[in-house]
Amino acid sequence: MTIPVGKATRPPTSTNPITTAGMTATAGMTGPRPPAGQRPRRSWHLRANAVVLAYVALSILTVVLQGWPALPMPRWLAVHLLLLGAVTNAIVTWTEHFAVALLRARQPSRRAAAGRLAALNLAILGILCGVAHGLATVTLVSATLLAVVVLAHLGSLLRIARHALMGRFAGTVRFYVVAGIALVVGITFGTLLAMSAVSHQWHAPLHAAHVHANVFGWVGLTVLGTLFTLWPTVLRTRMVDHVMLAAQRCLVLTATGLAIVVTGLAMDLRWAAVAGLVVYGAGVGVALHPFVATWRRKAPRDLAAWSMAAGTGWLVIGVAGDLVLLSSAPDLTSYLPRLDALVPLLAVGFVLQVLLGALTYLLPVVRGGGPAAVRAGIRRLAPWWRVRVVALNTGALLIAVSGVLSVPVVVPAVGWALVLAPVLMFLGLVIGALVQPATRPALGGIALGLVMTLVPVAIAVSGQGAPTGPAAVSLPGARGVQVVAVTLVGMDIRPAVITVPTGTRLRLVVTNHDAMRHDLAFPGSPATPLLAPGSSATLELGTLTANRSGWCTVPGHQAAGMSLHIRVGGAGAAAAGTGAGTGTGTGDHAAMPGTAGTTSPGPDVHGAPGPGFTPYDARLAPAPPATLHKVTLHAIERETEVAPGVRQRIWTFGGTAPGPTLRGKVGDLFEVTLVNDGTMAHGIDFHAGQTAPDQAMRSLEPGKSLVYRFRADHSGAWLYHCSTMPMMAHIANGMYGAVIIDPPNLPKVDREYVLVGAQIFLGSRSGGADAGALRRGEWAAATFNGYPDQYVHAPLTAKAGERVRWWVVAAGPGEGTAFHIVGTQFDTVFKEGGYLLRRGNAEQGASQVLDLATAQGGFVEQVFPQPGHYSLVDHDMRRGENGAHGVVTVTR
Amino acid sequence: MLGWWSLVRFIHVVSAMVWVGGQLTISVMVLPVVRRLLSAQDRLPVLTGIGRRFGLFTAVAFLPLQVGTGILLAWHKGVTFSSLADPGYGRTLAAKLVAFALVMVAAGGHGYAMGTTRQALARSLAIATLVGSLAILLLATALPQS
Repeated sequence: MTIPVGKATRPPTSTNPITTAGMTATAGMTGPRPPAGQRPRRSWHLRANAVVLAYVALSILTVVLQGWPALPMPRWLAVHLLLLGAVTNAIVTWTEHFAVALLRARQPSRRAAAGRLAALNLAILGILCGVAHGLATVTLVSATLLAVVVLAHLGSLLRIARHALMGRFAGTVRFYVVAGIALVVGITFGTLLAMSAVSHQWHAPLHAAHVHANVFGWVGLTVLGTLFTLWPTVLRTRMVDHVMLAAQRCLVLTATGLAIVVTGLAMDLRWAAVAGLVVYGAGVGVALHPFVATWRRKAPRDLAAWSMAAGTGWLVIGVAGDLVLLSSAPDLTSYLPRLDALVPLLAVGFVLQVLLGALTYLLPVVRGGGPAAVRAGIRRLAPWWRVRVVALNTGALLIAVSGVLSVPVVVPAVGWALVLAPVLMFLGLVIGALVQPATRPALGGIALGLVMTLVPVAIAVSGQGAPTGPAAVSLPGARGVQVVAVTLVGMDIRPAVITVPTGTRLRLVVTNHDAMRHDLAFPGSPATPLLAPGSSATLELGTLTANRSGWCTVPGHQAAGMSLHIRVGGAGAAAAGTGAGTGTGTGDHAAMPGTAGTTSPGPDVHGAPGPGFTPYDARLAPAPPATLHKVTLHAIERETEVAPGVRQRIWTFGGTAPGPTLRGKVGDLFEVTLVNDGTMAHGIDFHAGQTAPDQAMRSLEPGKSLVYRFRADHSGAWLYHCSTMPMMAHIANGMYGAVIIDPPNLPKVDREYVLVGAQIFLGSRSGGADAGALRRGEWAAATFNGYPDQYVHAPLTAKAGERVRWWVVAAGPGEGTAFHIVGTQFDTVFKEGGYLLRRGNAEQGASQVLDLATAQGGFVEQVFPQPGHYSLVDHDMRRGENGAHGVVTVTR
Repeated sequence: MLGWWSLVRFIHVVSAMVWVGGQLTISVMVLPVVRRLLSAQDRLPVLTGIGRRFGLFTAVAFLPLQVGTGILLAWHKGVTFSSLADPGYGRTLAAKLVAFALVMVAAGGHGYAMGTTRQALARSLAIATLVGSLAILLLATALPQS
């Protein structure tokens, strides 16, 4: 009854309901609808879709700002901005539109729909904020609201269907209803995951079920259901015969398959999930039949059609790829990271591409203005469309390839650039097409104003981006006032050492970049006031003729390392002294005999490592299945940076201090060939084995080798070290490592790390640790795995809810270890050959510190309760605050 | 503490307030009403009149007061040209000065465009001036007050 005049001459099967309904807005001027319907409908859709496009833009921004491949959290945000934000808004808006258009139904209340959309976006923002900031209540309330909104939307769709004037396309609405139910299931799993409400062994199953319910259910079924009618509409051709029969079969298969997949995944029944995925894939295949038949009738010729075709292709590839990954993975825990690699492909290739393709067609249609205006609108969104389609799909291909193969990092980067460029272009074209000419000057003005804002703001924040400065600054013999910027950050003063020629007039511009208040005071000189975070002060030190030291006067801060030393030398000495700008630790100790009586500043324990720094890999792989372990260790002496700014010679097994970690099971045989590539005698002593020391632990002259055989009779975390005297020097200079022998029936955990506690002694650049300092026990820095604060600079990682096992060995040479992880408790403690504590013990007890005397070892297990940054410390604070400190970044 | 320097700062803040507030009032309150009530021809003399008056206020009162008190305050705080490059206070102040210069250029451009009846350009520059003024306020609030 509302079929517009222009289409009435065609046979009923040739009517494109979506086009006609879209045109009804304009054609309706002559039809039975009230003319007032035009503007509200038009602006309604434009407004609702502006929200969709804003989410797309925010998602792009997140990808660009944070770099998708690297960081898990922004990746979560980008995925959810796109799939939860943009796509869910689009689906809720458009499915109602399609339902009304296809069923020739009365337009339901706009006010109710607007209320649902407002509640939907409130829920989406609540979920994004709640999950990002770990606010469990906000997440739960928002997710509940989201589920309620989706159910209300389904109710509205069903009401539309009930009052439909034409029932032929009711099948499409059934797709939407099943898709909505899938979303409610997906939300439930997602919420359980976000709130860490499930024990860790259910993490992988529920995560996989969440992804499948949402991507293949909510998005996949909606898209498939829509394509049966939208595809011929976009191609501007008739539907093929029996299309709705195919739709019905497709829905039965996909819905059944999806239910099996999601149930199977959630119950950790991998093969059930595989079977379900096969059924789902068969359903997609059924949908392809009319899709291809329509294509044969009229091939796609524009951006909208090609985008939808390519997007559908990526859905097929995604389902097939998922099937391969799921059936080839040994279990869901190892399947999950592969699924995570597939998600960007589905998000970009399938979801984003179909969304943009559909909008390219639908936005001009709802904007109306008659068929000519609609065609013009579509054309306006189409410049360079072939290039854009090719770029986006090439990019998606590169992203897909880099997800499964190890390729240079430039490949995914190029892929993302190729994807984002056409998307940005689409956004720009839409904005350009929708903006009224009258408002263009205003937009131009706002854009210019933003540039005028960003440039000064960039100036203002420049120089603050990297708050850690160089550890030491050396000023050449210049006259006049010398100005040095000094930063207070992280219980540290940067630079810590300033070297100036005698007679220099020095001015310090002191800025506090720390989160707490600090000052800087020099005895007998003006001091800065107590500086609030972010504030600065200028300190005039006048003409310098003698060494000066200043520090932060807040109690405890000087002891924590907040001191600044100004070295005053002769003009010539300073110029020749520490060289190019930054003084080195060697310069500090070798070239400063004159300051022997004053307190040495020591190494810059908390400073940034030099350019050659590579953290010791603390991850521990499971014991290899073999029972004979053949290892060759080379004794290697080399110069390296042992602490920030301090280079000195270390003696190592295998080039690193600690040496490589060996791992096996009780009863395994180890056959270690030791080759002495050094310049002095070295030997080796494995605590993990029992053997007469005479031959096995003998000292080897340079160039010689020996074979050390031992059987691991007993479990434990064992030390190995150089057996040549003085062992104190050989261990202090780096010749130590760990042997891990698993106790029988050691349970599998999510991650294992190994940490060897050791202390660093300063010495000469070529000779290693100073003998006097060793004898007096005057270590300069404590370490886990050989470098102070190394896991502060390169944090270890874990996920919330994961069980992590920490193997710890105290190498010394003189100190033990009191291993603690801030914010967690150890429910399992294994020390020196036995369990002190096991998970689920009758006393419900737990442990706070693994105390190891020098050369002892053991392991502890704990579960990170929620995302955050957990410090691992030696809780003997002399060591903990002087380098035996690291960070575990725990993500969702 | 209330003292003579508070008075100088008071003048600095009040004249900025009046200038930015005046722009906001014209753009957000006056112009929409004028556009609705008056035809394009009748509008022009009204807008030109308002613009002239605002320009006069800018040149005679706002600029001298703002620049004068600004220099005094900087002198009082011990700001030197070299310290403008220092990260933190110095650079924030330098950025504020850059933003002020840009805004003044845009405002001057707006007056010029109005004089030569380039309506679209004038409107763009007026809005850019307003947005830029807000940037100055943002940077002013970011200046550490220690």
